[in-house]
Amino acid sequence: MKTIASAVLGMLVAGPALAADPGVTDTTIKIGDVNIMTGPAAFVGRGFSVGSKVAAEEVNAAGGVNGRKIVVITEDDGYVPARSFQALTKLLEVDQIFALNGTSGTANVLAMMPLITEHKLPTVVSQAPAPVVYTPVRPTVFTFGATYENAFYAQLKYIHEKMAKPDAVYGLVRQDDDFGKDIEAGFDRAVKDFNLKAPVRIRFKKGTTNFSAEVAQMKQAGVTVLANGGIFAGAANILSEARKLDMPLIPAEVWSEGIPASAALLAPAGYDYLVGDYVSLNGPANEKFRELAKKYVSEDELKNISRYTYASYIGMKALIEAMRQCGKDLTRACTVEKLRGLKGLDTGGLSAPVDFTNDKQLSGTAVGVYQYDIKSATFKPLTGFVQY
Amino acid sequence: MRTGHLKTSPGQLVALSDSPAVWAWVGALAVGLILLPYLVGNYMLTLVVSAMAAVIGAVALNMLTGQTGLISLGQSGFLAVGAYANAILLSDYGLPVWLTLPAAGLTATGISLIVGVPSLRLKGLYLAITTLAFSFIISHIILYSEGLTHGPNGIFVKGARLFGYDVQRGWPLYYLALALTAGTILAALNLTRTRIGRAWIAIRDHDIAARAMGIDLVRYKLLAFAVSSFFVGIAGALMSLQLRFVNVDVFGLILSIEALAMIILGGMGSVAGAVLGAIFLSFLPEVLRIGFSLVTDPNSTFYTNYVYEIRGIAYGLVIVVFLRFKPDGLVGMWRDAKKYWSNWPLAY
Repeated sequence: MKTIASAVLGMLVAGPALAADPGVTDTTIKIGDVNIMTGPAAFVGRGFSVGSKVAAEEVNAAGGVNGRKIVVITEDDGYVPARSFQALTKLLEVDQIFALNGTSGTANVLAMMPLITEHKLPTVVSQAPAPVVYTPVRPTVFTFGATYENAFYAQLKYIHEKMAKPDAVYGLVRQDDDFGKDIEAGFDRAVKDFNLKAPVRIRFKKGTTNFSAEVAQMKQAGVTVLANGGIFAGAANILSEARKLDMPLIPAEVWSEGIPASAALLAPAGYDYLVGDYVSLNGPANEKFRELAKKYVSEDELKNISRYTYASYIGMKALIEAMRQCGKDLTRACTVEKLRGLKGLDTGGLSAPVDFTNDKQLSGTAVGVYQYDIKSATFKPLTGFVQY
Repeated sequence: MRTGHLKTSPGQLVALSDSPAVWAWVGALAVGLILLPYLVGNYMLTLVVSAMAAVIGAVALNMLTGQTGLISLGQSGFLAVGAYANAILLSDYGLPVWLTLPAAGLTATGISLIVGVPSLRLKGLYLAITTLAFSFIISHIILYSEGLTHGPNGIFVKGARLFGYDVQRGWPLYYLALALTAGTILAALNLTRTRIGRAWIAIRDHDIAARAMGIDLVRYKLLAFAVSSFFVGIAGALMSLQLRFVNVDVFGLILSIEALAMIILGGMGSVAGAVLGAIFLSFLPEVLRIGFSLVTDPNSTFYTNYVYEIRGIAYGLVIVVFLRFKPDGLVGMWRDAKKYWSNWPLAY
């Protein structure tokens, strides 16, 4: 009787300890990815999903994470926050994912945040590293990437020190949202630190396509260095207006302009614009990655490779490393703990090494400055990764 | 099966339905909906709650556009007002949810009167553009009133408890949504059969004739705006409870377009049509997702590169095909089906 009682007691005690977290079996680990797979910004999500896939296939080819293969499940949110919430609910309830790597845009990740917190879901945000994502810090959320503030500060510092004339006039045009606010913070910091002449700061509504009035204002103020807070077609329209007015500009751009599709939109304006980014845009590391990707993805998918691919690849590598360190007894709690202790993870030169051992659980804050060369249609590195 | 409707008393004329079969089916549906949390998983409940918020919004828009003939593209603005009012009162002021929900509706009603007054002289596309401009103004106000709305950062919605239950997740949220949806549908059905509802329909059909018959256009048009916005505000509040986060990006113009699509697809002017349209469009993406995942491998290159876009195109295509071949909408299909079975086997 005593033996039976101890056996039952033992089973009861051992039950919860042996019960694996959702998404983990003896052979697989499911990682979720909520992304922009449809709509005008679909190329962001497509690029991102390639990075996750390459990282997963790379580790799977080497035997998986402690013998378990990574399975990536992507859900489309079309860049609509309400759909991000539904997509993550589906990943959690139906697919039973273990962790999350793709998190779409800033508003989208915030819409998913209550679910992430509730499910204690290990999450790496490498696509929208805005301060609102890591302030306040959520215990299971790890952010990889610099702020737009630092990306613009880095570019303006470089322009001020190496490119602009001493009498240069600086102007800012930015969206009227959290993203634009962050850019303005970088602009303000640069203006203050380098005592720049900056008479114009213009806000515009997200979705604006006609910037003739804004650019005319810039021209009137004699702006020669432009912190351009437009993205994709918006950024291209701003530069195109500036070209129409024959403005001699040095444009500093958002990192979304560091992808081939955006560069093709901006190039006709004829400006060799700058971009600040926390991932490498061109160099041996990128070549090496492309060679690796060729092994695991199709020709069509190779065309989608962009900076978002590198960001997701690094995010997935960080998750994989944390899971690997947990050994066979993989749990969400252990993964979070290992992510918290992750330091010096080499990304092969695609970014500065990953280090989450800080209060904000934030890494990849070092920024490199690049310049687009219209003739060769490539980005030329101007600085290495530097903390600003 | 019954083939005609002979009404012998005024009471029968104003009854919601005098058919025992209809009441039996409504009862069965009610039982099914009450038991739903025991039958389906959390994900399906999430989809159903989203669909219920869409139903409330569509029924409310139907009062304004379908019944009164006032085209509105300002739904996303009213949704945002309701959602933000609920979020601010709950999270920043700590008010109970039984107070914040009606307050969200009333705030949207108050704002609607500001939009409604200048809209009284406008009709058709002019009114549509005015209401569209209103939703832009609302998003501007939200972005720039940081002290109240937290600006672009948005608000995390927390602390909604009713009878001790957290009504932001699971079955408590579902039952709250069910009660709100049932209340909205009942209110809409009842309003349709009152003097107000008949006045709205008269205004829609011919406003000059309606005025000649003694209908006060100012009063009834404003009333349509106010009542419709109240329910849209409630739908916004429900969305904020479910998402647990509000941000101006959540309330894009696409929501206004989708709401119009719902009532057109369902059958303009009919409450049942608005309900069916909202359910149809809310579940169509999920049906397409399941359909495509059955015929293609979600891990394949084809899926990653093309299926998401094909799904988007299919979504639009279904709507276009539907409107081309069934211009009366889903409710028209329902009527056709009823007629067919009523006359069976002599139907033609």
